[in-house]
Amino acid sequence: MKNSCFAISRALTVAVSMLPFMAGASLSPASAAENEVPLSLRLSPSQYKQSVLEIFGPSISITGRFEPELRDEGLLAIGARSASISASGVERYDDLARNVAMQVVDAQHRNTLIPCKPVSATAADDACARTFFGAVGRLMYRRPMTDKELATKVRLAGEAANARHDFYIGMQAVLSDMLLSPNFLYRYKTVETDPAVAGKQRLDGYSKATALSFFLWNAPPDDVLLKAAASGDLHTKEGLKRQVDRMVSSPSIEGGVRAFFSDMLGFSDFETLAKDPAFFPRFTPKVIDEAQEQTLRTIVDLLITRQGDYRDLFTTPNTFLTRPLAAVYNVPIVETADNGQPDHWVPYTYKPNDPRAGILAQVSFVALHSPAGRTSPTDRGKALREFILCQAVPPPPGNVDFKFVQDTTNPVYKTTRDRLTAHRSEAMCAGCHKITDPIGLALENFDSAGGFRTKENGVNIDTSGELSGAKFDGPVGLAKVLHDEPAVTACVAKKAFSFGAGRAPSATDAEWQQIQAKFASSKYNFIELLRQIALSDALYSLPSSQVASVQ
Amino acid sequence: MTFMKILSRTALVAVPLCFAAAPASAAETRGYVISWLATATNVTDFKANCPQNKNGGRTEWTIRDLVAVGYTRKEAEDIVTNAPNSTELPADITRKTDTRAVLANGQHVSIYNYPEAVTDPNIETVSGKFAYGFDLGGKTEANKFEDPDTHSKVDNQMWRAVGCTESFRAVPPVMPFPEEVAWNVMVDTSPAWSLMITGDDLSKDGKVTLTFDRVTQHLERDSAGNVMSNASYVIDGSPKSHNVLHGEIKDGMLTITPSNLYLQGEMPYYAEIAIRNAHMRITQQPEGKLLGYWGGYVNWMRFIYMYTARPGNGSDSVGLYHAIKKLADANPDPKTGQNQEISTTFRMEAVPAYIATADGKVLGMASAGDVVAPAKVAGQ
Repeated sequence: MKNSCFAISRALTVAVSMLPFMAGASLSPASAAENEVPLSLRLSPSQYKQSVLEIFGPSISITGRFEPELRDEGLLAIGARSASISASGVERYDDLARNVAMQVVDAQHRNTLIPCKPVSATAADDACARTFFGAVGRLMYRRPMTDKELATKVRLAGEAANARHDFYIGMQAVLSDMLLSPNFLYRYKTVETDPAVAGKQRLDGYSKATALSFFLWNAPPDDVLLKAAASGDLHTKEGLKRQVDRMVSSPSIEGGVRAFFSDMLGFSDFETLAKDPAFFPRFTPKVIDEAQEQTLRTIVDLLITRQGDYRDLFTTPNTFLTRPLAAVYNVPIVETADNGQPDHWVPYTYKPNDPRAGILAQVSFVALHSPAGRTSPTDRGKALREFILCQAVPPPPGNVDFKFVQDTTNPVYKTTRDRLTAHRSEAMCAGCHKITDPIGLALENFDSAGGFRTKENGVNIDTSGELSGAKFDGPVGLAKVLHDEPAVTACVAKKAFSFGAGRAPSATDAEWQQIQAKFASSKYNFIELLRQIALSDALYSLPSSQVASVQ
Repeated sequence: MTFMKILSRTALVAVPLCFAAAPASAAETRGYVISWLATATNVTDFKANCPQNKNGGRTEWTIRDLVAVGYTRKEAEDIVTNAPNSTELPADITRKTDTRAVLANGQHVSIYNYPEAVTDPNIETVSGKFAYGFDLGGKTEANKFEDPDTHSKVDNQMWRAVGCTESFRAVPPVMPFPEEVAWNVMVDTSPAWSLMITGDDLSKDGKVTLTFDRVTQHLERDSAGNVMSNASYVIDGSPKSHNVLHGEIKDGMLTITPSNLYLQGEMPYYAEIAIRNAHMRITQQPEGKLLGYWGGYVNWMRFIYMYTARPGNGSDSVGLYHAIKKLADANPDPKTGQNQEISTTFRMEAVPAYIATADGKVLGMASAGDVVAPAKVAGQ
């Protein structure tokens, strides 16, 4: 930073604006109760990227790493309520902000993204700065800027512009600060008095719009939604319904669905996933990226395009493949793109008697929940319990002995089932493994990388199992049992609500029970579930701390 | 005996194995893509092959080049010694050596474009006994090698020409250096070649059909950098590289009825693999990969173009040019008498692959084991 005046003003702005959100600050509770309404939620990396995309367009590239996310109660969306920003995180966000701001005002973009031209490019122009910051501030903060906020931005931009003799340097400096502001990086909830009911409080329209938009689109509110917030339309049942119906029928709903299932299925763990290339040479970096996309395409196709039954995700024969993925699955696809083109996605349907069906047979599940060189029915069973059934599995004791389960060349215990059976003979291990292993062993036809197999160390693999008293054989048998397991639909409903609200629903709440009933009566149409949650009062509940302060 | 036997005494040792058994059916077709193809080398006994050991490496070629343009041996050695890395000569000297070729009109031109206009350096050629190959019917007994595997007398004048050159002292899986460099570019850029083997029951001896094609995609690499097995490829609709050959599996070895083979390639690798009177013997490795040799006659001038067109890739291009020309052993030009073709042998590997047509028909399956055929693919 060459200009000291600018440097000082920016440093002060950053320090003051970030202070409440630094690690350990009082607004970032370390352990909130599961269903306590959060006051604020930190934007996820995908929400940050989507916000920049929506506000400044696709030609602005975002490079750099984000502050790690926290998973709480099985969801990053719940962890976001207690996610602070560390000192190194501030540096990361600062780098991102500078980079984005620099692109927005550069010669390539300024004429498109800044809606006015300064009188002089070498000096401050308060009117133009006010026009720009007023417009982008409303989108970035998801509410109109206050007069004081706007005046400060205009003044700082002018000072920097005059000091550097460059209007756009001033704009860049202030825009960079706005991108680093908690008003952008966090979704606040603001409470107001309900004018219709004496003594009652409610979220203000902008807080509602923000909750709604990130829930359904994983994106900030668009202009229409902000106008509905400003007009009070969102406070009426009809107005809210109008917006929700518009949003669930918009193509942007795919963004929300993708974000939710990426979170629910733990796809953030792909960042650290690796397989031993000596054993799984077809598991390439491309496969790691495309495995997630395969599952998300399968989900979008069934739940949005076909408006199908959520339970069919576990049994559907329909999916999409690329050439690298098809090689992992050892199936042929016909991809006719020209040589050198990026991998194309090809629709693919398994035969009725195929050993694969549904998303749990995909690489994104069986490979994600396996160690680098072997399978782990325990890891897979645990993931299935926690991600799909919302059932907690206790962590292993500290002194557990893994000598049997990790010895894949044991001459006596040739299959994973054999080794786990020996492992379970230790009483301290048996309890939890009874929960995880019977369902995890059903997926043993899939190796650590997701490839299909029928034998392990020359011995036929036994894939029989049991869930909730229902016996089955193999991954397809497990999928059919899951399809009819009530906990599966209850779990996705709970997780969808938690994704939107940043907290778990209250199980005894009448409205919540009604939402679940409507989900069932819609034949488990997932979009209808989102719609019902979006229309519920529960999504817009008041944070207890705000209620207290208003009272 | 099945379609497998020990193929080589060196790195090509394979465990006897048949094609994995497939469900009984009228006929089956296995798909592959060529994953390794280069001149077959045999460098087990360099002293016996090249007793003079006079060709040297790149430093020696550079000294020879300098002597050829008028420097004394001592001067040439000093120039090389003082060069930054023994071959990176000052530009004015390089220009002198690289343009020492002189046309009839006296014009100096590039030795790589006009190797014929450069004096033959008479590089040493192989005088040893062994080379991989096939009996192509060559009549000159003195030209014959003995194949290390089959112990038959074979024609392979290409190996005689190149086998004493440093860059060809490569043991598979390492390719001769110029081919290795070019192949690794080709793997990631140029359309690959497919092979389909069709027979009533490939786990048993019997007649088979081999179908070669060019496909539309380049080879897919796996996480270890090797060519990925079980990937899908689509056949290029052009008939140019479509070859249907007939063969037989006997005692685990697949051989073909001699035929011509044409596969369109792309520089910097060979612009084509065009073999007249092609012979093949192929075995299957335990992991399903194919390993074998292709032999026959190739146009020597088209072959050497790959080397002369890319100078400085570790081969003595001019020396090889003259050696190959001199040792060419077939198809004499009616006017000059110069043979236009030279007997040669390629070593090849192929990995299992799914081979389909652009309209969605999967013709070749990658394996017969746990293969899951599609119920529906795009285009159907």
